[in-house]
Amino acid sequence: MNNISKPKAGEGTTLWLVKIILGGLVIAFLVLHFIVNHLIAPGGLLNYQAVLDYYSNPIIPIIEGLFLIVVIAHCLLGVRSVILDLNPSKRLLKILDIVFVLGGSIAVGYGIWLLVILTART
Amino acid sequence: MKNQPAPSKFMRWFDPRFRQMGTWAFILNRVTGLGLALYLLLHLFMLSKLVQGETAYNDFIALAKTPVIKVGEMFVIAAGIIHGLNGIRIGLTSFGIGTRYQKQMFIGLMVVSLILIAGFAYVMFLGE
Repeated sequence: MNNISKPKAGEGTTLWLVKIILGGLVIAFLVLHFIVNHLIAPGGLLNYQAVLDYYSNPIIPIIEGLFLIVVIAHCLLGVRSVILDLNPSKRLLKILDIVFVLGGSIAVGYGIWLLVILTART
Repeated sequence: MKNQPAPSKFMRWFDPRFRQMGTWAFILNRVTGLGLALYLLLHLFMLSKLVQGETAYNDFIALAKTPVIKVGEMFVIAAGIIHGLNGIRIGLTSFGIGTRYQKQMFIGLMVVSLILIAGFAYVMFLGE
């Protein structure tokens, strides 16, 4: 077991490093998300009113928004890394990169929109 | 080179024969990662229930408490724990930390994963 993770062709050191750092951040946010959602929030946000009460604290939408951005970026970089193993052509990779950037932006935009709607209802 | 990914080897991810431990770690990371990516999509879709209002969200939560969905959630938790802990090993070794002890780290982290998964399963299925 001597192979260590390193940038692959088409990935570059920057994206590889960003993916690894984001992975660490996902773990940190996930632990925080889990503790707050399931251990601190009474009842574990298992009804609508509990969710609204949870979002009435202004720090929560900010943390959840950052978590969303980090997790989507790590996810898309990871899926891209799997696709690189399939040795796509440069043209296909370029198209996929556009799809990933658009898809990631839409997902983040949608998530932020949800956060704004919920915060407005509190 | 041995153990290197290639398009022609994609389906061999699912072939359990003649594996080295490094390959198992690689396959586990990829399969759990893809599973979690799929779950993220479903999770974002599910959150739209919150915008639809109280009844839609509460109905969804009632569905989420059914045994089939709970088993699905258990798979997500297991994938998250395995991917996260295996990812810590990958992150550390990427920066040159513990590269000589990868095998021991992998085994140790997977034992921790099993313990955590068992703990979550106990709380989810027997702790209520």
